[in-house]
Formats: sequence, structure tokens, C-alpha cells
Amino acid sequence: MGPRSKDLSLLQVENNVEDDADDVIDDPSEEEESESESESEQEDVKLMEPSKTAIYNREGLVERLEDISWPENVDWMHKLSLDIDQEKEVDVNDDLARELAFYTQALEGTRLAFEKFESMGLPFLRPPDYYAEMVKTDAHMQKVKGKLLAQKRQIEEAEERRKSREAKRIAKEVQAEKLKERAKQKKQEIEEVKKWRKQRQQSGFKDGKDSMPDFGFEDGKSFERSSKKRPGVSPWDRSGGKAKQGGGKGNDKNKKNRDFRDSKFGFGGKKGMKKQNTAETTNDFRAFNKGGAAGNKKRKR
Amino acid sequence: MGKKRKHSETQTAEPRKKDEGAPERPKRTLMGWKDKDEVSQQTESTPDSPQVFRNKEKVMVTCSRRINYRYRHLMLNMVSLLPHCKKDNKVESRSSKGATLNELIELRGCSSALFFECRKHQDLYMWMARCPNGPSVKFLVNAVHTMEELKLTGNHLKGSRPLLTFSSNFEKDAHWKLLKEMIIQIFGTPKEHRKSKPYHDHVFVFSIVDDHIWFRNYQISVPHNESDKMVRGGLDKMTLVEVGPRFCLNPIKIFAGSFGGPTLYENPFYVSPNQIRALEKRKKAGKYAKKVKAKTRRKMHEQSNPLEPDEFADMWRE
Repeated sequence: MGPRSKDLSLLQVENNVEDDADDVIDDPSEEEESESESESEQEDVKLMEPSKTAIYNREGLVERLEDISWPENVDWMHKLSLDIDQEKEVDVNDDLARELAFYTQALEGTRLAFEKFESMGLPFLRPPDYYAEMVKTDAHMQKVKGKLLAQKRQIEEAEERRKSREAKRIAKEVQAEKLKERAKQKKQEIEEVKKWRKQRQQSGFKDGKDSMPDFGFEDGKSFERSSKKRPGVSPWDRSGGKAKQGGGKGNDKNKKNRDFRDSKFGFGGKKGMKKQNTAETTNDFRAFNKGGAAGNKKRKR
Repeated sequence: MGKKRKHSETQTAEPRKKDEGAPERPKRTLMGWKDKDEVSQQTESTPDSPQVFRNKEKVMVTCSRRINYRYRHLMLNMVSLLPHCKKDNKVESRSSKGATLNELIELRGCSSALFFECRKHQDLYMWMARCPNGPSVKFLVNAVHTMEELKLTGNHLKGSRPLLTFSSNFEKDAHWKLLKEMIIQIFGTPKEHRKSKPYHDHVFVFSIVDDHIWFRNYQISVPHNESDKMVRGGLDKMTLVEVGPRFCLNPIKIFAGSFGGPTLYENPFYVSPNQIRALEKRKKAGKYAKKVKAKTRRKMHEQSNPLEPDEFADMWRE
């Protein structure tokens, strides 16, 4: 019983083994039978018949009950006891159902009690500004709060991860669609031009420029880019523009310096044209601090 | 701080059967003590009720030595849940357990007792007894979860009077009725106890499932929108949050006297945890013997039914 009851994490799983194993028959004359029974069934040792030596002194019980019970007409306020009807049998091993049954019983009881209190005009619930000592300390409640928040954060992070995965997948599909669309468009335009040329060939080049059909691509619209601003990617940038992203924490001046030095001495990029002493690079002061330590550092100030 | 008693309560008509004892305490107001004569005048003005029923229950909570940490915390939880209890030191009791405990109870002036007995550092037995000569019950406690577990998130006023809810199968049989009465008296906080708080914000659940008494403690939480004492239409939005502790009681025996006396009831389905452990060990112990038996059986079987000589037996013999 010890090791099982030390399971702090298993809040839901009650120790069914103990509850059911309690019911093994204890009459010594039937030991063999019970052993074979318990061997055949795994851990659900249910008693077939109750022990024959169990005492049940009904009169004695009733007598003692009358001895100790309070007088009959004691106000309900002293007892505060409520009897709740249990409609259906609850399976002990089904944790969720059992806890639900207890919860509903408590809820029913509270409702009844609330109605009784209201009819008697007595205060029932605690007002929000009533501060008094609570059964669990504030420090303990802080720990509880921390745990709940951590759980919530975990769930949210999992959700976010899942959502971003979905979004990426959808974005990829959309992109594929767009590419296909473009390719199709291109093919179509080429076909159109070919057709027009064939037509002209067939009709013997006689019309000149008057009967040029209007192609869909002539109005220069296809040369317009989408107005969405995309970060400019230089042609020698082999990282595809991803290297520049991120790191918003960087100091502007340092970032600029760092970026310049990366571009000059960093990985990848165009091969042969890195270090060239041209007119542009002579006056290129991007790597230097603007008006920094003016003059020699050794000079006394 | 002194709680103002409602004047109406002292004047309700309640005839008494037994002499519940105490002389009326002088009424305590902020100024000081009211004169005793005044109080007795008030009560005697109503001709029918000489005295009012006062719940003077006091519970002594103790445990045995060599108790487990988990069960000790359970006991401390019980102490904090019952403002009308008195915690006593550990009881070293091998023999004459009943007499020692009875003496202790009388010494502290209590009327009931909750005694947590831990055996072999593993099993917890709980005794619920009514002191002078009342009945006592011994339970085996299972499935203990204390209030310190972080999954039990509720909280309530320390000392507020609980609502006790019982499932309807407490009325089915005499011994359940007796247990219900004892539970009401022990677990219910007396009405005008010094340490009790006025509001009711938690509820105990005692329900019988599978011949065990399951105990739960919930906090009643209702969303307050205005700063009203009574909630407006909030009955539907009432939720219960579990405060703990949780345990499951398996009644073993009910005695007529306190910690002893003739047995009134014995649970026919109860098997002591020692016996369960012994049974399991025996099951495991049988494994080797069974294996040996099976081997000899096989040997006998082979001897009695000899195989025909295999024609290919020495095919690969060099």
C-alpha cells in the first residue's frame, strides 16, 4: 500500500488494487479456493461470498445510534447535513465517472443549501472583500498558480507550433499554385504569339501593323511587380535574403558595421570581386565609427 | 473578535430531551460582558425553552508513533479542517491502547476522537470514537491525497462551517446510519464555535461506493460581479474546486464501547492488508515449485510414452 499511495502524480487513478483486493475472502477454510481464484484473475479479486463469521448486531447498532444522536428537533443549522440521491450505480474503477458523481453530489447539495439559506435570509457565500485566514497559505497558492500558468503556457505553445506548421504547409501550396499559374500564363502567351505569326505568314504579311491583335501582355502590366514590399535580395546573396532577417535587438551602429564586415569578409557570395580598390571602395567609410574617438587614443585629455 | 449572536436564535422554542450541559455563557459584546441575569431573563421569557441546544463537540486528533509523512500531513490537514479539534501528541501504544486513549480524551475534555494509527509504515487505520461510552469505528484508509498536492487548487476559509452531503445509501442500513451520525457530529463544525467563520464556502462529500466511504472537500466558488453578498442569479454559474484532502475509508469493525467493547458490526468483505500481501507473496513463491513440478511431470510423461527411434537420428553423426 505504501509505494502505491506515494504516487503523487496519479491524482486520477485511485488505488483500485487495494480496494478490490480488500475483498478477498478471509475465511481460512476456503483458502485454497480463493487462491486459485485470485490466481486466475489478475488483480480484480472480488469476494464471492462474504465471510461467514461476520457479526451484525442490528439492535445494538440502533441502540447506540439512539444513544449518541442529538435530539430530534435540533435545528438544521446545527447539522448542515444534506442527503443527495444517487441515481445510478457508479463503477469504482472508472475514475472519471466516480469523481463526476461526487462532484454532482456536492453541487446538488450546495444548491439545496443555498436555497435553504436564502429562504432563511442568512448569509451564505463569502463576500469578495472578506479577508481572513485561509486553509492553505498564500505561498502555497502561489505555487499552485505557477503550476497552472506553466501548464497553460505549454498548451499554448503546442497550439502555436501546430498552427505555424499548418500555415507553412498552406503557404507552400499557395506558392506552388502561383508558380504553376505563371508557367501556364507564359506558355499561353508564347502560344498566342506563335499563332499570330502563323496567321500573318498565312495571310502573306499584307496588313502591316494595323491588324495586330491585342495581346494580353502588351500593356506592360506583367512588368509591374506586386506592390508588396519584399526585402531586397542582392544577386550575389546565396542565403536567399534570410541572413539579414532577425536580430532586431542589435544596435544600429553596430549592426551596420557588422553587416558591412559580413558582406566584405563573410561566407558565400560572389567569388572574385570581394576586395577591389576602386573609386567606390576608397571613399567607403561604412566600416568606420562615425566621429568616434576623435584623434589618437594616447593623447592626454 | 467577538461574533455578535443573533438575538432571534436565543429565543427559538426548542424543547430538549437531555441535559446538554452548560450554563449559558454571558453574552459577549464589544463593550464587555453583559450581565448574566439579563441573559437568563431573556431566555426564560419564552416559557417553553429552558435552554437551547448547543453543540459542544470537541474532537481530539492524535496519531500513533512511527507514522508515515503522508499520513501525518493528512492528520494535519484534518486538524486545520476541524476548528473544534485539539491536536495531541503521538501516542505510544502497544498494549492497553483503548484505556490510554480513553484517559487522554477525558483529560483533554473532548467528546470524540480521531485516532490515526499507522502500521508497518504502510497501512493507515483511522479510529472514530465517541468518548465516554459511545461507539467507535475502525477504518482502513486508502487512496490518500493531502491538501498539499498542487493539483488540488481550491482554498477556503479556515474554520468556516462545512456543508455535509451524504449519498442516499447512508440510509440503507443500520451501520451506515450510525456512521453517518458519527460523521455529522465529528466533521461538522459547531455553530457558534470561537474559531468558526461565518460564511459557508466549502462542502464535504461523503458517499458510499463499493462499500467504502469516499471523502472529498470542495470549495464553492461563484463569480462575483458586483460586491454583493448574495450573488444575483449566480446559482447556475456556481462551480466547485477541489480543496482536498481526499481519502477512502473502508470500515472494518464497529465497537459498542470507545476503543473496545463488544463488536457490533464486522465488515464481511474486509481483508487486512497483511493478508493481501501474504497472498501475493505466496503466489510468487509458488512459481519455482510449480516449475519443478512441471519438469518432473514432463519427465514422467516422457518415460511412460517412449518415442519411436528416429531413423534420421545418426544421419549427421560423424
